[in-house]
Amino acid sequence: MEQLINDLKLQIKEALHLEELSLEDFDENTPLFGEDGIGLDSIDILEIVVLMEKEYGIRMSKPKEGKAIFQSIKTIAEYVQENRKK
Amino acid sequence: MEKQWAGTTYGNEWMHKWLIRILRYIDVRFLYLFVAVLIIPVCLVLNPSRSIAYRYFRQRIGYGRLKSAWKTYVNHCLFGQVVIDKFAMYAGKKFRIEIENYDAYINLTKQKEGFLQLSAHIGNYEIAGYTLTCQDKRINALVYAGEKASVMRNRDRMFADTNTRMIAISPDMSHLFEIDEALSDGEIVSMPADRSSGSSKYIEHEFLGAKARFPLGPFSVATMHGFDVLAINVMKASLRSYKIYVTPLPYDKAATRQEQIRQLSLAYANELEKRVRQYPAQWYNYFEFWE
Repeated sequence: MEQLINDLKLQIKEALHLEELSLEDFDENTPLFGEDGIGLDSIDILEIVVLMEKEYGIRMSKPKEGKAIFQSIKTIAEYVQENRKK
Repeated sequence: MEKQWAGTTYGNEWMHKWLIRILRYIDVRFLYLFVAVLIIPVCLVLNPSRSIAYRYFRQRIGYGRLKSAWKTYVNHCLFGQVVIDKFAMYAGKKFRIEIENYDAYINLTKQKEGFLQLSAHIGNYEIAGYTLTCQDKRINALVYAGEKASVMRNRDRMFADTNTRMIAISPDMSHLFEIDEALSDGEIVSMPADRSSGSSKYIEHEFLGAKARFPLGPFSVATMHGFDVLAINVMKASLRSYKIYVTPLPYDKAATRQEQIRQLSLAYANELEKRVRQYPAQWYNYFEFWE
């Protein structure tokens, strides 16, 4: 799981062009949205969805799941772990 | 300044009900005249849209001072007319509709994959919802969650037989997944592409002679899985008729994701500019679009 979290951090940082964000600041439990977190928005989420599909073969199909999955890197990693096809 | 809209049709529910009742019995032209003579002059005095529209005609369309002032009045009258027409439709009135490039629409409805149709706040897009219908593919229309209940009820009633569903823009962003799910299921998604809806991210293009910001959302969704995209613009052609323009928007689906988004949004901006130049008085974005 730790390796997956690190991979996701790097992949998300690259996909969203978060060059100013150091990996140390990018804690696995940091909220991805809102002022208390990294401050991502809906377009960023689409990029993460594309990334999950490309890197892990996961096609998200349940709209209502989205909010819970994209709370933090940890919640994304848990979802990827359970659903990855590659 | 971020592009914002209250997301709701002007007036309260009581006003909407009475407007529909009145429109069942009187010709829309009486209301056009009433609005043009008694309502619009007051609006022009009270509303900041006056100076925004004037600047649009002066700086973007290139009219002189006098013509810009006159066109500002005409623009507000036309806006009043398309709102009246919307309620006239709810009241059961019919308009003559001509569709340009209808084959492009039909061809996409016949294919297995879903597609997007992008609209703008020009003309009267809602007319398309009652005209470009498809029994084989469900149409999912992205709407502002804050719209008046009476408008939503009337839309639901009007769309009841048209295989259409409304997706409300949601603060938890679930609408994005609903859109992608609908497209992946081979359905049609309709969304505005000239105002932001849920994200402040944008892409800049030259539009009517200056840089303008277009929301990234629609182009980002479309290119997620390489969906086909149509620009649909519905323009008021005369007092009782509309013309629907269907334009496929090309982009290289093999290019990088960033490049796909750039190409698609540029094709959209070019198509929108073409229609706005054709119908300059039907531009209804009353905010600083070019700031």
